Amino acid sequence: MRQFIRGCAIRALGALVATTLASVALADETCNSPYTTRLIKGQEDYVHVWTLGVDGLGDGSDKLVTVDVNPKSKHYGKVVHTLSVGGRGEAHHMGFTDDRRYLWAGGLDDSRIFVFDVGSNPAKPRLVRTIADLPKRTGYVGPHTFYALPGRMLVQALSNNKDHGGVTGIAVYNNKGKFVAKYDMPTSTLGGVAGDGYGYDLAINPKKNVLLTSSFTGWNNYMMDMGKMVKDAEAMKRFGTTMAVWDLKAMKPKQLLAVPGAPLEIRWSLHRGDNWAITAAALTSKLWLIKPDGKGGWQAKDVATIGDPAKIPLPVDISITADGKGLWVNTFMDGTTRYFDLSNPEAPKEVYSKHTGRQVNMVSQSWDGKRVYITSSLLANWDKKGADNEQFLALYKWDGKALAEQFRIDFNAAKLGRAHHMKFSANPRTKQAAVPIEVAAQR
Amino acid sequence: MSARRTAAGLWLAVLLALCGTAGASRDAQRPVVERPTMDYVPPAAGSYRLNVIQPAPEGRVVGPDGRFRSLSAYTRGRVTLLSLIYTYCTEPTGCALAYETGVELKAKIIADEALRGRVRFVSLSFDPVNDDYRSMQAYGGSNARADGPLPWFFLATRNVDELKSILEGFDQDIEIEVDPRGSAFRTISHMLKLFLIDRDGMVREIYSTAFLQPEAMLNDIKTLVMEEDARR
Repeated sequence: MRQFIRGCAIRALGALVATTLASVALADETCNSPYTTRLIKGQEDYVHVWTLGVDGLGDGSDKLVTVDVNPKSKHYGKVVHTLSVGGRGEAHHMGFTDDRRYLWAGGLDDSRIFVFDVGSNPAKPRLVRTIADLPKRTGYVGPHTFYALPGRMLVQALSNNKDHGGVTGIAVYNNKGKFVAKYDMPTSTLGGVAGDGYGYDLAINPKKNVLLTSSFTGWNNYMMDMGKMVKDAEAMKRFGTTMAVWDLKAMKPKQLLAVPGAPLEIRWSLHRGDNWAITAAALTSKLWLIKPDGKGGWQAKDVATIGDPAKIPLPVDISITADGKGLWVNTFMDGTTRYFDLSNPEAPKEVYSKHTGRQVNMVSQSWDGKRVYITSSLLANWDKKGADNEQFLALYKWDGKALAEQFRIDFNAAKLGRAHHMKFSANPRTKQAAVPIEVAAQR
Repeated sequence: MSARRTAAGLWLAVLLALCGTAGASRDAQRPVVERPTMDYVPPAAGSYRLNVIQPAPEGRVVGPDGRFRSLSAYTRGRVTLLSLIYTYCTEPTGCALAYETGVELKAKIIADEALRGRVRFVSLSFDPVNDDYRSMQAYGGSNARADGPLPWFFLATRNVDELKSILEGFDQDIEIEVDPRGSAFRTISHMLKLFLIDRDGMVREIYSTAFLQPEAMLNDIKTLVMEEDARR
């Protein structure tokens, strides 16, 4: 508001500069809600890493780690800020509010949601709110995906507080952190497919009024030691096998799609005219295409394998290019970052791969596709042990042919913790169009 | 729309705005708008519920006649579609789109007997310096009417302090563009939001650019009117 007052005082500077608002587009990754504004199309200044605390390492607390990633900065490749939230709650994913001023970050174990102000000074985020009423309000636990709607946030949970299994739902909060509504994941049969009630990611196609959700597993599994879990036949049965197509306006599930093997991240193509989404099934190591079935509904097609499924490479994150023609896939077990040619989404082809760490989890690319960021941690109890438990944030440049490492921050050596989810931000001096990504992406 | 076309359209709009005269009809000066794509049939009115998102804030505004009133005088008692705009905004997916969407919706509402007298529109400026109540009436042109089957009020505020509390209440983000030295331009950077408010003053839907789909918005308005009728 201080700037507003100043603006009023010198308003005679004139309206000619109004053109800058729309002609200078800004940058950001491709996975944000289409309702989030201030897309970063150029160089991001900071990467915020939601980091799991490790007992005995540093302060042991979950924290938001901010890294300067602008090569023109004297702090390039350095941690410039850390913000501990106290305790270890299984830090996992984050999402911006619609105005991109605030970053919501969740804990899969303690179900707390932390709201960071990253708009005032992205170099020094501030914790402005902690939301702790998710289980009480909804019966859900494990807030996973944070996805902006105008003035509010969709929160996809992973589990529930009754049996800590996979049956869960979606909560809605307004931007001030007040609970608005809850929606159970479907457990009935829709379109001949039985709902498992599980949840994981969600993503919206505004022009189709479609909300698409995927399914993972409950607290009992994601908090269990991975080695123990894979030997537990009953536990291994408790993974999601469906995706749900919702009427977004009505918030009602309309159709269920059979997608076995725990379908995880969902990415809609942002290419103008496209109406398809893609996901990776972790346990079966498959890419699935979700597209209209030509009869007014939707269909899911198994379109590619990722690595050798028999070796369970465990695809854990995907990142789609802005033009919908390429897809990065990280496979956790073999520490490999793979690039798929998506020119024909019916038949994706792996055209490049590189071993990027002993374990790799999240992969996030810049809007222009020239920079690819990678982190290492999957879940505290699923990460590898001993020397294989590398924890890092790494930046690679991508020239269309090969990944070239620019820097790597060792989160163990820096006593930070397990590096998980990433989000980009830009300094206020960088003009960013205050239009939703849905609009900015088409310019 | 290509960046070049967008920029050209904006330059034209700016030139028109600079050449405009206060009080004249603004219809010929409005920038070309970019409409969001809608490729679905919206759910039928009354087949779904709109959640209570937040209360609409109270505040002091300047009405069409230049008198000060409570904002709630314009947000209670009828279903209200409120937009926050400024008159010289040139963003193709911004204020002009909000206005054009209102014009399209207005025709649909007037044509529906069940909605007559049940709905109002409000356009409130978030620039208390450049937009006074007179310029807001000029911006509204022939649509700025307090009577008829669909009243449309074009409101201003007196000062930044009074505006600030309203913006914070709606959680509306605005910024003044600044140059590299920190000096402010006139341009206001804001995320377009329209608020659908029920007769009790509760915000039931928020529309940003991608949601400005008149057919779906009409069904939302009908849904709230049907909800009112069911409570009677």
